[in-house]
Amino acid sequence: MTVDVAQRADTAGDRVDHHRPRPWSIVWRLTARSWLNLVRIPAATIPMVIMPLFFTVAFAGAFSALVLIPGYPTDNILSWMGPFAALQGAAFTGLGASFALGRDIEGGFYDRLLLSPASRLSIAGANVFFVLFRTVIPVAIVLLIGAIGGMDIPAGILAAVMLLLGAWGVAAIAALWGMGVTYRIQKQSAGGLVQVGVFIAMFLSIGMMPVDLMQGWLPHVAKYNPMTYIMELARQGFIGEVAWESTWPGLVSIACGVTFFAIFAWRMFQRVTP
Amino acid sequence: MSVDDSLETSAEHVHTATPPLLVQTAALSTRAIRGFFRQPQLWIPGIVFPLLLAAVNSSSLSRASLIPGFPPDTSYLQFLVVSVIVQGVMFGAIASGNELTTDIQNGFFERLLSAPVSRPAILFGRIAGGWVFAAFQALLFVGILWPFGGTVRGGIPGVAVLVVMAVFLATAIGGLAAGLGARTGEPEAVQGFFPLVFIFLFMSSAFFPTALMSGWYGTIAENNPLTWMIDGARYQVIVGFDLTEAAKALGISGVLALLGLWFATTQVRRRWRVAA
Repeated sequence: MTVDVAQRADTAGDRVDHHRPRPWSIVWRLTARSWLNLVRIPAATIPMVIMPLFFTVAFAGAFSALVLIPGYPTDNILSWMGPFAALQGAAFTGLGASFALGRDIEGGFYDRLLLSPASRLSIAGANVFFVLFRTVIPVAIVLLIGAIGGMDIPAGILAAVMLLLGAWGVAAIAALWGMGVTYRIQKQSAGGLVQVGVFIAMFLSIGMMPVDLMQGWLPHVAKYNPMTYIMELARQGFIGEVAWESTWPGLVSIACGVTFFAIFAWRMFQRVTP
Repeated sequence: MSVDDSLETSAEHVHTATPPLLVQTAALSTRAIRGFFRQPQLWIPGIVFPLLLAAVNSSSLSRASLIPGFPPDTSYLQFLVVSVIVQGVMFGAIASGNELTTDIQNGFFERLLSAPVSRPAILFGRIAGGWVFAAFQALLFVGILWPFGGTVRGGIPGVAVLVVMAVFLATAIGGLAAGLGARTGEPEAVQGFFPLVFIFLFMSSAFFPTALMSGWYGTIAENNPLTWMIDGARYQVIVGFDLTEAAKALGISGVLALLGLWFATTQVRRRWRVAA
């Protein structure tokens, strides 16, 4: 009889193992839940739509005369500011992951998730996966405003592909940084600190002006800021043709940024896992 | 002595013991200022963010001063001095006004209502806390930006105009924030109001001359009251002290302050009625 009990226990263990959900199905279901939250929590969704719209209109409107500066790379301000606004929108989307995570931690949902037999990597990865989906929205909004406002797109569809690639990179980096900080602080209020980090990186780059036209201390910082190269990658098709020399530094910056912040987020995640 | 007599005497005693409105307002303002400065998360953004943006923008957009139509003999940093003050005051006044919401949430507001405190003092005490911070911010920003080229050509009278404008603007924004807080009782609602204010600021001459803006955006910016206020104050910085321009800056900010106070008063009165 004792053998039977042991055997039964083994069989039950096998069954549990057999029924453990696959990592992709966890990612998929958590992504679906995030989509639902997107609809159910307008306070979190509205900034994602409004901010790229506002950034594009405000930057292009307020600084439209910058194209008159000798040496400015384009005579169409929307072509310069549009991609900057799209990347800012993508950064906002990435930050949304940290707000959502903070909400789940404070509400106790995350604890319940950690008690489930789901793989830890899927739980953490679902946030980033959803961000990649969501990033399409600010990019589409900027392209739409650009099309209405008369944005030049010399590289055509390739310009949009490069913009999306850059936006995915920024969103993933912002999300991983935000998740790391939120795992550490365990509160929604971590969002404030996360925002500061992202926006400092954005503004210390070639967002509004090319490095050659900057003066003072900023060009020295912008030259070494990885965000400058991601911006170049995303913007190149709107001010000229897509070229490998403008693409690879951006790809390397994204790869390094994602790797660095993924390690940071994972280490912070391990602090909250029981 | 009858019971009635003794009651009257004690009522008179209580009445004489209640300090005058000004003293109550001063006491509540002191509490508001102390409470504000004890929470660095409330006042640090109002100092750091505008200075950081000024440092970045003055380096990034310095060549904008070469564009024909940009105010002559003016560096971009000098052009930004007023917008740094306005941004800082907006950050600070929203945080300061939002403290009324915190008072409502933690029950201090209700306790004040049950105490023999003059009701206007409750509101003015809170808003007056914002005045001190706004004046401090204006002087601090002028002091920090001056050595880097953000000179105020209007000298002491010019600086005085900037300080008074900052105080009026703090009253306007602080009043709006306090009114919203009194209406909703939710700090998130007050925080959510900040992007709207920022959009209003962006669609003005705060960051670029309206003469260099084109199309409908330029039209909105030119007709934005904030543009009139900022241009009047900017005149003191980039040209020199001028009474007409000063009156424009102070007049617009004064009207905004009155509107802010009116909104805050009506909303706080409404809450008093609800509490009663």
